[in-house]
Amino acid sequence: MNVTFDEKQPIFQQVADIIEDDILNGTYREDEQILSVAQFSQLFQINPATVVKGIGLLVNEGILYKKRGLGMYVSSDAKLKIQKQRRNRFYKELLSSLISEADKLELATEDIIEMIKQLRKE
Amino acid sequence: MSIVLSCEKLTKTYGRTYALRDLDLQLEENVIYGLLGRNGAGKTTLLNLIAGGLFATDGTIEARGKKLGKGAIPEDCCYVRENSKLFGGARLMEILQFAATFHPHWDWAFAHKLLQTFRLDPDKKIKQLSRGAESLVGNIIGLSSRSALTLFDEPVLGLDVLMRERFYKELLEDYANHPRTILLSTHLLDEIAPIAERVYILDEGSLLLHEEMNQISMAAYLIRGHSDAVAAFTEGKRVLHTESYGHGKLAAIFEKLDDGDRLQARQLDIALEQLTLQKFFSYLIEGGR
Repeated sequence: MNVTFDEKQPIFQQVADIIEDDILNGTYREDEQILSVAQFSQLFQINPATVVKGIGLLVNEGILYKKRGLGMYVSSDAKLKIQKQRRNRFYKELLSSLISEADKLELATEDIIEMIKQLRKE
Repeated sequence: MSIVLSCEKLTKTYGRTYALRDLDLQLEENVIYGLLGRNGAGKTTLLNLIAGGLFATDGTIEARGKKLGKGAIPEDCCYVRENSKLFGGARLMEILQFAATFHPHWDWAFAHKLLQTFRLDPDKKIKQLSRGAESLVGNIIGLSSRSALTLFDEPVLGLDVLMRERFYKELLEDYANHPRTILLSTHLLDEIAPIAERVYILDEGSLLLHEEMNQISMAAYLIRGHSDAVAAFTEGKRVLHTESYGHGKLAAIFEKLDDGDRLQARQLDIALEQLTLQKFFSYLIEGGR
């Protein structure tokens, strides 16, 4: 099974995102083992070296840790760390693109806030 | 919309093997169709039957409402074979002159322009041409013929990426100026996706799917998330293929999604992404069994 990797981001970054998504949605829980490089490479049809690089990214960020001879595990505070990083990304990327679109449509800040409140109620 | 060509219950057998089985197909005027299928699915057999090169075992072909007799060719039709079997000793220009006599709407100015675009020397002999150049000769004939019904069998076989792009560009440009019905078979699905308006997908001689390209791209998704969430989301939807890993699950679905579905996906923490035609095709064919 292969995921379509878009060209906007390097593939190893997308590998890291997939693992992060799976930690956030509960596919992997704290101190649980994640897929091996070989399994991941097979499942998503990506070069193993790229998978290693993506996993390395998460190890550096303290989201995953290595058990010698066993494999990669999810850190106990992984979820918090990911959320913190993604909040940052949410603020910098998503909100700024939302605002630039809102500016084009001449929406006032209050209007935007009202819309968000509406949507969150649903 | 007037129908240029329609096949009904078209069947072709070789001994006990069914190359085509009960195939229904309708080609409307001025539409570009993609004809897709794996090797041996019956694509070339179908094109050969339409172009009168083979006799159907059963079923009928009608061209503009008139039934075609055995070996008859639809009026104003150009068939570009995958293996063109052009006379090797002839020069390229002689082949074009020969082809021009068969096609009433032949455009010489366009043919000359294409020779330049495809960097072909008209004085060369056919047998001196590379595999790709041979495909290009066929493509020049197919395009310059301006036939109301043009059939291309793997026109981009052996072409490098630049020549393929040039071919698609010329095809679309000329189609825009001179609309006609085009049926084109290919294995390079992601390249035909933006070109074809509709696709016919054959498998083992039968029609697997006939759909508008837009409909496919709007309904073919790969979803990824927690197994329970994916199971809840895919309930009642057409699932082509699934794969599990730990508590996670991937699923390829073919279902038009509305706003409610998207909201549900967000709430279930499911990642949704569109499938390319190529991936959709492989899940459709492999996942079905």
